[in-house]
Amino acid sequence: MHVVADTFSPQLHLVTPLISGLADGAAYGLFGLGLVLLYKSNRIFNFAQGEFATVAAIVAFLFDRGVGWVPKVPYFIAITFGVLAAVLVAMATERLVIRPLFHRPRVVLVVATVGVALFLVGVEGLLPYPQTASLRTISDALGVRSYLTQVDGVVVLDQDVAKLIVLAVLAVLAFLFFRYTHTGTAILAVSQDATAARVVGISVERVSMATWAIAGFLGGVAGVLLAVPPSGSVTPGAFTGLTLVVAFSAAVLGGMTSLPGAFVGGILIGLINAFANADHSFVPGLNSLPTSQAEVAVALVLLLVLLVRPRGLLGREA
Amino acid sequence: MAAQTEVLAGFDHAHRPARVSMRGWLIRGLALLPVLALVFVLPAQSDDWTNDAIYAAIFAMVGLSMNVLVGYTGQISLGQQAFLGIGALTAANVVNTGTNAPDPFTFAIGIVAGVLVSAGAAAVLGAIALRIRGLYLALVTLVFGSVTADAIFTISSLNGQDAGVPAYRPTSLQGNFAFYVFALAMVAICIYVDVWIRRSKVGRGLIALRDNELVASAFGINVLGYKLLGFVVSGAMAGLAGGVYAFWSQEFSDKNFTSSAGFSLALIFVVMAVVGGLGSRAGVIAAASFFALIDPLFTGFAHHTGWLNWYTDHKAYIQNLVGAVLLLQTVIFNPGGLGQVLRPFTRWFSGKPFSLHDAGDAAGAALGGGDSVRA
Repeated sequence: MHVVADTFSPQLHLVTPLISGLADGAAYGLFGLGLVLLYKSNRIFNFAQGEFATVAAIVAFLFDRGVGWVPKVPYFIAITFGVLAAVLVAMATERLVIRPLFHRPRVVLVVATVGVALFLVGVEGLLPYPQTASLRTISDALGVRSYLTQVDGVVVLDQDVAKLIVLAVLAVLAFLFFRYTHTGTAILAVSQDATAARVVGISVERVSMATWAIAGFLGGVAGVLLAVPPSGSVTPGAFTGLTLVVAFSAAVLGGMTSLPGAFVGGILIGLINAFANADHSFVPGLNSLPTSQAEVAVALVLLLVLLVRPRGLLGREA
Repeated sequence: MAAQTEVLAGFDHAHRPARVSMRGWLIRGLALLPVLALVFVLPAQSDDWTNDAIYAAIFAMVGLSMNVLVGYTGQISLGQQAFLGIGALTAANVVNTGTNAPDPFTFAIGIVAGVLVSAGAAAVLGAIALRIRGLYLALVTLVFGSVTADAIFTISSLNGQDAGVPAYRPTSLQGNFAFYVFALAMVAICIYVDVWIRRSKVGRGLIALRDNELVASAFGINVLGYKLLGFVVSGAMAGLAGGVYAFWSQEFSDKNFTSSAGFSLALIFVVMAVVGGLGSRAGVIAAASFFALIDPLFTGFAHHTGWLNWYTDHKAYIQNLVGAVLLLQTVIFNPGGLGQVLRPFTRWFSGKPFSLHDAGDAAGAALGGGDSVRA
């Protein structure tokens, strides 16, 4: 489908990047949600978020396929197990790594999450399973056709639509959670002043555990939705290496403290990425750009946001 | 935020002036022999070992560059591999003599050019990073690392396409051991710069900044200038390491620095700096050498125990696991890192009073304090 056109064609230069940008953006947004949640509550960047997703994808894959001694279960139960596994890993991370470091400077916690990510990649890599395989898509599991519609010869995949819907629903739910529930308010209270929160009777430990469980849930959902063909896989470290950096940019663009911002930032970065990577040959002089223009574009956006408006599009003060 | 309470410096047991007798120095000299044997005799045993030892020397330089940046200025860097790559790319391209060995002068120009270009890149990154506060800097360096890798290292006229840019050594450094001695000399330069920074006004200024920026600037310390200097020195050291790297592997290949290879290098550099104990030269050098030698060590071990095939298949993952476990145990249980463990020994060697229970002043302080690194 990659036709080089020297004149402008709406299909090649608008529709294709728009659709792939929205799909990728949904992925960045899903990761961004978890990153924003943990930044909002713990004031840290969680570098292990990508591996929470991979853990979910691997566990879901094992149960869906029935690899080794793992029993084969129906698809939707398998992905539930996957998400549960991610929640458990996130809770273990909180209990074993984050809580002992709770009163240390934030940068120590960030370094520790890098350690958790490395640890999870290592463990995943030593498990005996087909590491280049990928999870089934939802439409595959339901036995329906894999695309919703075709626009101008460009296919809109069911899975991409599902990603977008799930992302939007989760962003709104998380926003409502922080605005209207006791637990949500308690998480914010702890993030602002742990001691004061304790004084008014909030269990800092329980709140921290709840936050990480939710982050694990968000990561797990991202994992089971993204580790599907054509581009996703259950390879150890794949999400950390390829998606996480861009997801951070998305979260910063949206405002690290705003959950709807993660949604908006994710979609925007996805679109910027896709349009920067699209065929520019109809613009004279632009067709000789290096292949990495998308990364450069994302990096420039990140720098611009940090220099001009550090709180992002929808965030409060950074 | 060193947890040390100094009431009266003059009465502090650990800091009273010490005098070491001639015999004392002699004993210290003898005790140094095993260390010297480890550095000079062991790598001379086989060509492969020398090769691995050069790699360890390169890592030691990168470790020292991390030490200056993270240990003294308190700025975290997740993009240090970019400076290594820039140094290697520049050195290889400047010296590019095809298949002929360069003369020593061209070689020296290449190494120096690598250092300068790397320092320049660090100055640019530093100028941007200084405007960004707190943890966001980690993200900026991360993105800087991956973007430089993908944007600059993939330019085909600079990276020699698939073949890479050849970087042959001058004839006098052709042999691995000669090159190893050269690499050690470069490490010595880095150590000297590190010592100079730590002892000079600059170093005291940097550490004051790290511990409390507001107080330091109230005392008249030039915040922007000193931080930028920290960035530039760190970038220059990594660039020097890059130059040595290019001539060690005898080529520059972008594949060593782009995408996942570059990302895992960046992570290893952070891990080794933290495990080594930021602010501690001896600790950082020891940890860097360990992480550089982890593959040959494990390969040898697996070879003798019959796990070689399994190890070769899972190499990267096992190394991840080892690094992660060391990192987590360091940040949770032993914030001073290896440096804190080695500290009584290094103090004894330099003839200073020491205590086996000394918490250390610089060790661990980098990750223990500093408003600049707090969000």
